[in-house]
Amino acid sequence: MMNSVLKTLCSAAALTICTAGAAWAEYPDRTISLMVPFAAGGGADVPARFIAEELEKELGQSVVVSNVTGAGGTVGATQLSTATADGYSLGFMPVGTTTTQPHLRGTSYGVDSFIPICMVASGPFYLVVDADSEFKTWEDLEAKAKGDGITFTGAAPGSLAHVTSVALGAMWGVDVGYLPTKGGGDAMNELKGGRADATAWFSDFDVRFGLNALAIFAPERSEIHPDVPTSGDKGHPADIAVWMGVFAPAGTPDDVVAKLDSACEAAITSEGFTANMEKANREIRHMNADEFGAFFRKAFEENGELLRNAGLVKN
Amino acid sequence: MELFYSALGLFNSPTVFVALLIGGIWGTVAGVLPGMGTVAALIIALPFTFAMPTESAMALFMAIYVTSVYGGSISAILINTPGTPQSAATVLDGYPMAQAGKADLAIGWATLASFIGGIFSLIILIVAAPALARVSVAFGPSAIFAIVLFALTCIAWLSSGSMAKGLLGGVLGLFLTTVGQDNYTGMTRFSFGSDIMRGGFTLIPILIGLFALSEVYHRALLQGTHRTGAEMNVGFRLPPLSDVIARWKELLRACSIGTFIGILPGTGAMAATFVSYTAAKKFSPNRDKLGTGEPDGLIASEASNNAVTGGALIPTMALGIPGDGGTLVLLGVLTIKGIVPGFDLVNNNPHILTAAFMMVLLANIIMFGTGMLSARLFERLLRVPEPILMGLILLFSLVGAFVVRGNPVDLIVCVVAGAVGVLLRLARYPIAPIVIGVALGFIFEEKLRQGLIASKGNIWTFLTDPIALPIFGLTAVIIAATIVSNVRQYPQTKALKE
Repeated sequence: MMNSVLKTLCSAAALTICTAGAAWAEYPDRTISLMVPFAAGGGADVPARFIAEELEKELGQSVVVSNVTGAGGTVGATQLSTATADGYSLGFMPVGTTTTQPHLRGTSYGVDSFIPICMVASGPFYLVVDADSEFKTWEDLEAKAKGDGITFTGAAPGSLAHVTSVALGAMWGVDVGYLPTKGGGDAMNELKGGRADATAWFSDFDVRFGLNALAIFAPERSEIHPDVPTSGDKGHPADIAVWMGVFAPAGTPDDVVAKLDSACEAAITSEGFTANMEKANREIRHMNADEFGAFFRKAFEENGELLRNAGLVKN
Repeated sequence: MELFYSALGLFNSPTVFVALLIGGIWGTVAGVLPGMGTVAALIIALPFTFAMPTESAMALFMAIYVTSVYGGSISAILINTPGTPQSAATVLDGYPMAQAGKADLAIGWATLASFIGGIFSLIILIVAAPALARVSVAFGPSAIFAIVLFALTCIAWLSSGSMAKGLLGGVLGLFLTTVGQDNYTGMTRFSFGSDIMRGGFTLIPILIGLFALSEVYHRALLQGTHRTGAEMNVGFRLPPLSDVIARWKELLRACSIGTFIGILPGTGAMAATFVSYTAAKKFSPNRDKLGTGEPDGLIASEASNNAVTGGALIPTMALGIPGDGGTLVLLGVLTIKGIVPGFDLVNNNPHILTAAFMMVLLANIIMFGTGMLSARLFERLLRVPEPILMGLILLFSLVGAFVVRGNPVDLIVCVVAGAVGVLLRLARYPIAPIVIGVALGFIFEEKLRQGLIASKGNIWTFLTDPIALPIFGLTAVIIAATIVSNVRQYPQTKALKE
């Protein structure tokens, strides 16, 4: 009797040692989940699936994209912030979810809840108007804004389009009306229906919606649209872009982060990824963990400041 | 004609046809499975498109999109559970028909109506997509709000027995959509301070719980009271041509409503089927029999929900604006494959657009075949002992509830909704009004809020909108007429009861 108890105890001990051994095994040794806080097929989902495909090759394990949607991406981000920080739960999140929503919505996560691993894509915003509209230049829109006033449209308050309208108001010293929509292409209904004057969109504004751009909110003109002036050319330098990248929950071990960082770099520069992104009309921008970490912290503070000045932060 | 040939050039390999066929079969099957709707079916197929050539990926997705809407009608007819939200109104007449031993005919009607709806909207899509795209953007928040309000009046028609019970259900449904984070202010509403409730409720888990799970629970409680497959006459029988011709007005009305509402941004198939059902209740020569197993009810629901597919493709393909969850995933796949729907597609690559239309046409034809096949399949499936069948439905329901947004809370919501659903059935409360409330609540609030934001809080803006005003008028007339007829009938019903 005693013997069998002893045997059980021994085998249990052996098992414990074995599992402990497994934990020390080289990361990664099983499937990694990459959570996207927006719908499948949407703006954040497409590059996430591209990068997952390449990360699989780099890490030698499956990288499965899961979509956890709702409330401007905050449902998924909240879930990620409480996930086990072992490198097997990662997230692919954009600027709004990580740097504006925490200020606006009082989320349980904040700037310290995540470790930024790498920036993957970034689409600078253009100030766009309907091709048939009366606005042909930046000055036309500015004059209307300072006269009768203009209505800007875009996704829900706290979105980058909204941040853009607030920034425009600050540049011109006027109040810019904002008509929120559900997001995605919904704002184009309001723009094309003549119920809004302008919105902010990515570089595919012409091929997808047949719109005109009055300016790009970037330090330099874009190679895609060299004719479009920067807002800086008009005397108001700005850098507004929807960037997105890979995040891990805070507490993820340093060696795991380092491994992911180098895998990410290899994935982003891979031929498959660049070809896919080009075909989908998306702009790549890579930052490694160190750069992205500093960038993320700065963006978090700056966007908080902007929203506070606009009176949108309630606490 | 040249356009036609260059479009035909995209069908350059047999894999396109294989993709259409696989998409058609998977779409129908996913539609039939309670829980797996259009969006879930597309999401599951998404990873496979990476390795596919562009044309095949497009064919696969078009086929899934078109056939999944139809598949939902089969489970609605046979097991009293809409396989997809779009088929919620199909239950009303489909299930009674099956219980009366005419399941084969009900499936025949549903298939034919779906086919006609799909083809009708496709023709509209081919003829007038760019022109209708302009109509689509003319519908601002006020106009869409008016249409949603009209669709809500259908609660009155679906409240068999007691109008008060139906209205209560509708209000409960509307209320459920207000839980969670408000998209416009970021404020969390009715969450009792819990992080779990932050994301709020969504339609699919509630719908699956109220219909599918409550059916499972109900059958477990009352074993052996449901008719078997043989008694229902499961199979596939097309209605006689003379019958179809006699109902041409019903078909035309349902198709037009479906296509039109499909065009409107974000309004969706649920609103279309309910508006169509309400119209049938008002104008069908068989309106008194609606809800008891009348083919006109099946036509109203199925022709309109499949007509939505062509309608919804208009803003998606011509403007690049996806109207609902299904077209959003569709647009995503096209983008991944380097096709940018919208301005460029219409103006510079019309052959791709034409190819997409052909794929929709072929998908509609495939749907006929898969419909017949799945009816045969069901004939066998219903011979499986009921506990096993119900176990399978339970499994698929929970998977479906979870997969839509990957939130474990939805599993709890689904199970609770099932329990509530079975209590409501036992107490003879209609379930459909709650579902309508939830289905339309989100867009109802969104458009109301948008309208108010645009007018800086002036409620009269809704009545000064030239498109909204006549729709509000129609809604008022229908409500007034209902009240008047109820008051007139009251002495009779009272006398009957006594």
